[in-house]
Amino acid sequence: MKVEIQDITFKYKSQKVLDDISLRISSGKFVGIIGPNGSGKSTFLKVLSRILRPVAGYVSLGEQPLEQFSQKELARTMAVVAQDTNAGYQFTVEDVVLMGRAPYLGRFQSESMADYEIVRQALQVTGCSHLRERSITELSGGERQRVMIARALAQQPKVLLLDEPTSHLDIGYQQEILDLVKRLCTTEGITVVAVLHDLNLAAYYCQELVLFHQGKIAACGLPTEVLTAENIEKVYGTRVLVSPHPVFGTPQVSLLPGMRHQGKTQQTNHIHIIAGGGSGGELMRDLYDLGYYLTAGVLSVGDSDWEAARALNLPVISEAPFSPVSPARHQEHLSMLQHAQAVILAEIPLGHGNLLNLEAALQAADWGIKVYVVEEKTEQNRDFTGGEGQKLLTQVKEKGILVTDKAQLYQALAKQFRLSHPFNELSERTNSAVN
Amino acid sequence: MNRKNKFLLYSLLLSVLVLSVVLATAIGAVAIPPGETFRIILARLTGLFTVADIPTSTQSIIWNLRFPRVLLGLLIGASLALAGVSFQGLLRNPLADPFTIGVSSGAAVGATVAMLLRQLYQFSFPHMIPLFAFVGAFLAMFFVYNLAKIGGQVPVVTLLLAGVVVSSFLSAVISLLMVFAGENMQGIFFWLSGGLIMRSWTEIWFVLPYLLIGSVILYTYARDLNVLLMGEEAALTLGVNVERTKKILLVTASLVTAAAVSVSGMIGFVGLIIPHAVRIVTGPDHRTLLPASALVGASFLIWADVVARTVMAPKEIPVGIITAFVGAPFFIYLLRKKKSEIRL
Repeated sequence: MKVEIQDITFKYKSQKVLDDISLRISSGKFVGIIGPNGSGKSTFLKVLSRILRPVAGYVSLGEQPLEQFSQKELARTMAVVAQDTNAGYQFTVEDVVLMGRAPYLGRFQSESMADYEIVRQALQVTGCSHLRERSITELSGGERQRVMIARALAQQPKVLLLDEPTSHLDIGYQQEILDLVKRLCTTEGITVVAVLHDLNLAAYYCQELVLFHQGKIAACGLPTEVLTAENIEKVYGTRVLVSPHPVFGTPQVSLLPGMRHQGKTQQTNHIHIIAGGGSGGELMRDLYDLGYYLTAGVLSVGDSDWEAARALNLPVISEAPFSPVSPARHQEHLSMLQHAQAVILAEIPLGHGNLLNLEAALQAADWGIKVYVVEEKTEQNRDFTGGEGQKLLTQVKEKGILVTDKAQLYQALAKQFRLSHPFNELSERTNSAVN
Repeated sequence: MNRKNKFLLYSLLLSVLVLSVVLATAIGAVAIPPGETFRIILARLTGLFTVADIPTSTQSIIWNLRFPRVLLGLLIGASLALAGVSFQGLLRNPLADPFTIGVSSGAAVGATVAMLLRQLYQFSFPHMIPLFAFVGAFLAMFFVYNLAKIGGQVPVVTLLLAGVVVSSFLSAVISLLMVFAGENMQGIFFWLSGGLIMRSWTEIWFVLPYLLIGSVILYTYARDLNVLLMGEEAALTLGVNVERTKKILLVTASLVTAAAVSVSGMIGFVGLIIPHAVRIVTGPDHRTLLPASALVGASFLIWADVVARTVMAPKEIPVGIITAFVGAPFFIYLLRKKKSEIRL
C-alpha cells in the first residue's frame, strides 16, 4: 500500500517540529527515516500513525485519507512497533501477540481458532514460537522487540512503521530484527517505514532513505544519493567519510576527527609524517587529536595513508598511483620537510619506489631535525629491495631516534614539544589570558 | 489462564461466595443453624416451597435483618473491587483505587452535609444521606475530570494528581464540617468509617442497578483495558479509541463507586487489595481479573462485616476499620514478598 504525505506541518506549542513535509512512499518499499536528534523524524512517524494530528496537510494510505479511517480500520491497515515497549505487566507472549487481533474483534466477540492460527504464524515467522508461554517481562530486549513485531504482524498490516526498533539492541539483535523486517517487506509486500539511528544499518537495509533536518526533508532517494559526506556534514555537523561497503557497495559512513584549523601554530609544533601502505593512518589520527600541526609525504594517490591525510585535510605531497617517487616530488617533499620540528618515519614497506622517502628522512636528520623511526614489528621483513632499503634504514636509525611503540613515540614527542598532555595547551592558553 | 483453569477458579470462587453468604447469615447474636438459614433464603428467593417448620421470628431475623445486610456486603465488596481493578488498569497505577479519583471524598462531604442539615436544621427526607452522598461523589468526579482535562484529552498523570488534590481538599472540608457538628460528631465519624449497620433491602435496590449495569460495561471493555496497559499510544495503534474508552471507563467505575460509598460509607482497602491479590493468581488479563475480583471482593467484605459485628458484640465496629486492619498488613506483605515492586 502506498503512503502519501502532503504538506504536513506539525507544531508542539508554537514550535514547528515538522515544516511542510511532502513525501510519496511507493507500495512494498523499505524506507528509512534518518536525521539527527530533534530533527522531527519520530514526530513524523507519529503523524503517519495518527498518534499526533498535523496542524496542516494530510496523509493518505492507499487512496484513502488517514482521517477517514476508523481507529480499528486503521489498526487493521497499519501496525506500529515503538522504540520502547512498556513491559511492566505480566502478560504472556501469546497474550501480547493476541492483542494484535483486537482490531478485528467486536466488543462481545472472543478470539476464534482463526485468530489463534494467525498468532501462531506470527510467532513462527518472528522466531518466537518457543517463547509463547513466557511472561513478556522475562524476555531480553531483542526477544521483546521480536514479540512486538509478531504483534504487529498479527494485525495483518499493509504498512509497518518502526520507530528506532533496534536502538537498545546489540549488533547481533539489530541485524536479526532488520533482516526480519526486510524479509517481511520483500515476501509479504508490506510497505515499511522505519526511523533508524544508525546510518550504516539504514544504508544497508533500506531501499530508499529520507534525511530529516530541522523539521524538513534535507534529502531523499537512494541511499547512495542521500548518504553523501556533504549531506551528513550539513545535517549532523560532523565530518565523515562515505565509502562503499567493502562487499556489497552500499554507502558506509565512517567518522572523522572533528574539524580544526591548522596553520596558526605551524611554526612551533610541526610534525612531518613519512608513511605509506597503511602504516601512518593511526599515527595521523592520534597526532591530529593531540593538536600537532601535521604534514605528510610522499604518498601515492589512493593509498590508505593518502586517504587518511586527505580526510584530515593535511598538506600532503602526492605521487601518481603505482609510480615511484619522482625527483620533482622529492624536491617538494624536502622543502616541506625542512620546516618541521620533527619527522616520523612510519613502519613502511621498503620498495624501489619509495627509497627517496628514506633519503628525505636522512636529509632531515642531517639538517638537525629530530627523526623518529617507528619499528613495532621487528620480526617482520619489510625490505623488498634486496638489501638496499635495509641499508638506508639502518643509516636513518643511527641518526634518528628509534621508538618501538606508539606510546613511546607520543611521550617522546610530548617531551620534545613540552606538551605532556593535551590539556596543557588549554591551561597554557588560560595562563596567558590571565597574564 | 486456560479455559479449564478459569472454570476451576470461577467454580471455587462462586462456592466460597455462596458458602460465605449462608454462614455469615447464620452467624449472629441468635445462632441459627446454617442448614435452616440456607432453607429460609432458598425458600424466600425462589418461592418454590415454604418453611413452615421454622418459627416466623427466626425467618424474620434472617430475611429482614441479616440476609439483606450480608447481601449488601456482597454488593459493596463486589462494586469496590470491580472499581478498583478498573481504576488500576485505566490509570496504569498500582496505587489507584476507587478513592483515588476523589469520588469517595465527594460522597463523604455529601453525607456529612446531609447529617449536619438533619441535626442543625431538622431538615430531612427519606434516604437523604445516600442521595446527598451520591450527588457529592458525582460532583467530585465531574470536578476532577474537568480539572485534569487538557485540550480534550485526560492524561493519566494529571487525573491522578487532580484526584489526590481534590481528595485532600475535601477531607479538609469534612474536618471543618465536623467542627460545626460539635457533639454530634460521632454519627459523622461512624459514617466515615464505613459500615453496614441498619441497612435493609432499600439500599440493595439502590446499589444493584449500578453494579449490574456497571459490571457489564466494564467487562465489555476488558480487552481494551488489557491493550491500554501497553500504553496509550500503543493502544491507539491497536485500534482502541483511547480518549473515549477512558471517559466511559472512568464514569462507569466512578458511578459504581459512588453508589457503593453512598450507602456504606468509606470502606477502604477493598478496592486496593483485592485486585492485587487476585492478579497474583489470574495474571493481568482483565477478562478474568474483573469477574474474579468481584467475587473475591464480595466474599471478603461479607466476612469483614461478620467480624465487625461479632468481635465486640453487642457493640459494632465500623467495617472500614476491619478492612484497614486486614488490608494494610496484607499490602505490606505483598510489597515485601514482591521485593518492593507491586505490578499490575
